Amino acid sequence: MKILICISQVPDTSTKIVLKDNNTLVNSQGVTFVINPYDEWYALVRALELKESGIANEIHLVTVGKADTEPIIRKALALGGDQAVRIDADSNDPYLTAFYIAEYAKSIGYDLILCGKESIDYNNGIVGAMVAALLDIDYIGFAAGIQIENNVAVVKREIEGGEETDICNLPLVISCQKGVAEARIPNMRGIMAARTRPLNVIAPSVQSPVTAILSYELPPAKAGVKIIKPENMDELVNLLHTEAKVI
Amino acid sequence: MSVIVLVEHDGGVIKKKNLEAVQYAAGIAQKTGETATAVVLGTIGAAEMENLGQYGAQKVLHVDDARLNDLHAPAYARALLAAVQKEGSKLIVTLNDINGRAVAPRVAVQLNAGVVAGALIYPDLENGFVIKKSVFSGKAFANVNITSDVKVIMLMPNTFPLNKVDGKAVVEKLAVNFEEKVFNVKVKEVNKVTGEIALADAGLVVSGGRGMKGPENWGLIEDLAKELGAATACSRPVADAHWRPHHEHVGQTGGAIRPDLYIAIGISGAIQHLAGVNGSKTIVVINNDPEAPFFKAANYGVVGNAMDILPSLTAAVKKFHQHK
Amino acid sequence: MNDIESVKAIKGGEFLIRETAADSVFIPEEWNEEQLMIAETCDNFLAQHVKPYLHRIDEQEEGLMSHLMDEAGALGLLGISVPEEYGGFGKDFKTSMLVTEKLGAGNSFSVAFSAHSGIGTLPILYYGNDAQKQKYIPKLASGEWKGAYCLTEPSSGSDANSGKARAKLSEDGKHYLITGQKMWITNAGFADVFTVFAKIDNDENLSAFIVEKDFEGLTLNSEEHKMGIKGSSTRQVFFNDCKVPVENLLSDRQNGFKIAVNILNIGRMKLGGGTVGASKEVIGLAVRYANEREQFGRAISKYGAIRYKLAQQAILTYASESAVYRASQNMEEATEMLVASGLNETQAKLKGTEQFAIEAAIIKVHSSETLDYVVDEGVQIYGGMGYSAEAPMDRAYRDSRINRIFEGTNEINRMLTVDMMLKRALKGELDLMGPAQKVAGELMSIPDFGSADEETLFSKEKKYIANFKKAILMVAGAAVQKLMTQLGKEQEVLMNLADMLIELYVSESLQLRVEKLVSMCGEDSCKEQLDIMRVYINDAAEKIAKAGKEALNYFAEGDEKRMMLMGLKRYTKTEDINSTQARRNIAAKLITEEKYCF
Repeated sequence: MKILICISQVPDTSTKIVLKDNNTLVNSQGVTFVINPYDEWYALVRALELKESGIANEIHLVTVGKADTEPIIRKALALGGDQAVRIDADSNDPYLTAFYIAEYAKSIGYDLILCGKESIDYNNGIVGAMVAALLDIDYIGFAAGIQIENNVAVVKREIEGGEETDICNLPLVISCQKGVAEARIPNMRGIMAARTRPLNVIAPSVQSPVTAILSYELPPAKAGVKIIKPENMDELVNLLHTEAKVI
Repeated sequence: MSVIVLVEHDGGVIKKKNLEAVQYAAGIAQKTGETATAVVLGTIGAAEMENLGQYGAQKVLHVDDARLNDLHAPAYARALLAAVQKEGSKLIVTLNDINGRAVAPRVAVQLNAGVVAGALIYPDLENGFVIKKSVFSGKAFANVNITSDVKVIMLMPNTFPLNKVDGKAVVEKLAVNFEEKVFNVKVKEVNKVTGEIALADAGLVVSGGRGMKGPENWGLIEDLAKELGAATACSRPVADAHWRPHHEHVGQTGGAIRPDLYIAIGISGAIQHLAGVNGSKTIVVINNDPEAPFFKAANYGVVGNAMDILPSLTAAVKKFHQHK
Repeated sequence: MNDIESVKAIKGGEFLIRETAADSVFIPEEWNEEQLMIAETCDNFLAQHVKPYLHRIDEQEEGLMSHLMDEAGALGLLGISVPEEYGGFGKDFKTSMLVTEKLGAGNSFSVAFSAHSGIGTLPILYYGNDAQKQKYIPKLASGEWKGAYCLTEPSSGSDANSGKARAKLSEDGKHYLITGQKMWITNAGFADVFTVFAKIDNDENLSAFIVEKDFEGLTLNSEEHKMGIKGSSTRQVFFNDCKVPVENLLSDRQNGFKIAVNILNIGRMKLGGGTVGASKEVIGLAVRYANEREQFGRAISKYGAIRYKLAQQAILTYASESAVYRASQNMEEATEMLVASGLNETQAKLKGTEQFAIEAAIIKVHSSETLDYVVDEGVQIYGGMGYSAEAPMDRAYRDSRINRIFEGTNEINRMLTVDMMLKRALKGELDLMGPAQKVAGELMSIPDFGSADEETLFSKEKKYIANFKKAILMVAGAAVQKLMTQLGKEQEVLMNLADMLIELYVSESLQLRVEKLVSMCGEDSCKEQLDIMRVYINDAAEKIAKAGKEALNYFAEGDEKRMMLMGLKRYTKTEDINSTQARRNIAAKLITEEKYCF
């Protein structure tokens, strides 16, 4: 069984967002970039577990990004990916990203495609479902547990107000979140092996984006906190009712 | 032409956030000189659908097929496409929630449509078709222009207050032929958390952090939540220490929530936590450290010991409800 | 003295009499992708396994530290520079230094890690025979067994060769029976293997033995109660006719003291890396707090008094780090050259290390005193919270203090710095006399006021550093002449000379680093680093002047003293710089990035 993991490069969770060029770009200077946590901690690690338990034989990685994304790809290889492909394009349009990934995936043929439930930069959470649609295969989102037996996936996933367990034949795209696996740290053996694992760069085919980010804004500063004395909880409740109008 | 909006229901009852989607679609339709058409799937009573008129829908297309009572994203997408075709629509609205994220991308792919996931405003039509959405987990906003002819908007729930108007939607049946493969995903088991309010859509949330000292003190949080009718949540260290179940973890790598009221108790307010909750309309922070960074993001703050403050806040809420 | 050595045959201690080319030093800005990934693994390890549990670690929760060592071992972090044939990863010394630096931010865990992978593993790796290495090293590299090192005794600390522990051969000749008491043994509580130093019979010098925890006659005392590094296991180890198989004698009889000294040389340099890592961590905490904490309506990081502290913490740390990696690279190259000349790898490593023992002592002193400055001002920046045991500065402050004591106290290391330098001169390994005489001659001549040299970005600092060398040669030369064999007993003078050497070595390392960095990235992206260099070297000039003056005022007299004081003034003269503005620039960068960022 071949698994494809879609990984995306994002600013580290502790990054403070600074804008530049008249608010049309996010300043990347001084920003530490990481593998999108949902892709790494859950999707990739679950795939590694499936390989370790003999269910999967090959784990491939794909990312859409320029050469500056290679350190995160190497890290994913160090964690245990067998080989990687970088589609040499800069995209923040989810459709375009999905298009590139689907095109590549079609050329190889995967039994299972895993991605994170969303990337923590653009917070779209729709690329996985788009890839499934483009490949005309099924999709299960917000997975919290994945079991594969005899080419059938049993997926525990989040629903509103609870959890449900779905069953679906492969091939399948699954977006992963907490519960699917536990984060791992690349070990020395993996780090040294990463150098020898193939990282191929392929040129994107011609395709136009269907959205464009025109500008960014930072959230307005909070007006300031109103401090209420611990003994005045009636006052707090009153403010929540009359001023904030939330209760 | 009309704006198509997917309206889900929970066992025949349409929830507030789905009404919000209808109102949003109707609002856009008004701007573009169109009408809003709701697509309702599965088993539901006529009255519930007609009531969508109160939120601006003129028409409801009802695909009355019991197989659609569970989410089958390809089937839902198929139904929406049928509605689009019937109405000649160029704009489809869904919610940016679990089901919306499964259905909308599929619709978008089939229509070569650009998508904005998590719309926070009505589109700005003067500069193209520009919609603001939250990015970097709430640390910034992006103004996204959809450049394709057909467009899909996924509205962020709990963004606009509901305004009920007089009106009654016309309900029409829409017959759709589904191929068997759109039902490939089978539901084996459903575990709804009963007696608790679901965190993702909760209007009020009470959340505890490491400052609660230990799981044995969570009764205080639950008492307040119960009195308020709020959901309970927690910070990452609390979930990591297994004081609370993981699904309660809110923050950048947990769930992102946008309630009307978020009460944070004993949470210092690390940037990762703030990212998950900074869409909340009103934030109350209770912490014994006056330097806790969370106070800077709060509307109301109480400095002091949570173990003392929580019981008196719960009592105050109780009193408020009794006198209302 | 001006011949720039480009063939990289730099010898230890030579920095005093020779100029170094910037492109020959290694700077931390040159880490490759693999090394950065290893560093990230260390960061992740601390973040996930250590930092959330510092409190429990400090309480010495049963089995926790041992478990953390297992986890580090599983990641391969305990065998970074152990050869692959013994289950390690065969990485170079710099990479193991990087790991030490990164894990240095882990408080008590850092101590357990350093002790295990340094003094716990290296004696066997470097001095063991093949059978000993096969038996112990793979287990130590994987963390299956934990290592400790028993040298210090209640009555013998700095004077290590004076220990009372004795070993005698058993009647059947199959065992050594060791009797004695060892103190301050790091990792003792959970170690499986101890390298134990004891004299056989009435030998003059120590011998070393590999002792397993289950050998009959080994017992442990209870945990010591310490000021800091409370999570580190520190116990006394008692040997009561402890039965050690004869094949567990490490290296030759009476070779123990040499082993101890050489292992300490590596340990000192590694301590440099570890304390640099700890300093960076504390600076990160301090700058985040300074940005958060508001007084009089503004974040305290907006106030000059706080900015000064933040900048100074970073300046010292960056300077220390420059010296650590310069010396690490030198050691590695010396080792490679020795291997190329036909020496076996182990011998080459030991000789290479020994070659840079002066630099190791300098680094040990400078980096541990830097960390003490950093934690002290860290507490101060935290204000009242700095004194609270709830805030992280409390632990950082207490944990730092040991670094000036173990691996040879800073006083011992200062004396060693001067002592080794002079011994090498006496042995003819380092030509100090020639250059010293040249300086003496220069003193008598008319000072060279104008400089014909073209002004370049680094010409001033290079001139200052060349002058620092003259100042030291002048004072040290005079001290040797005046005090002769008494010099070794005039410890205050030795301290003065050591301080001068330390400031010289660190200044030069820093200047070379920034010069290389500018050549790599361009001047525009190195503005703060240039500021760091200028401020540090200006301050160093004053420290060198002060130490030199103190020494001269003690042993020199009359006209000669006056002449040398004038010379000292000339050799430590720097042009005025706006150090306040420079520190503000450095602080501004830290405050924006909210972390140590150089």
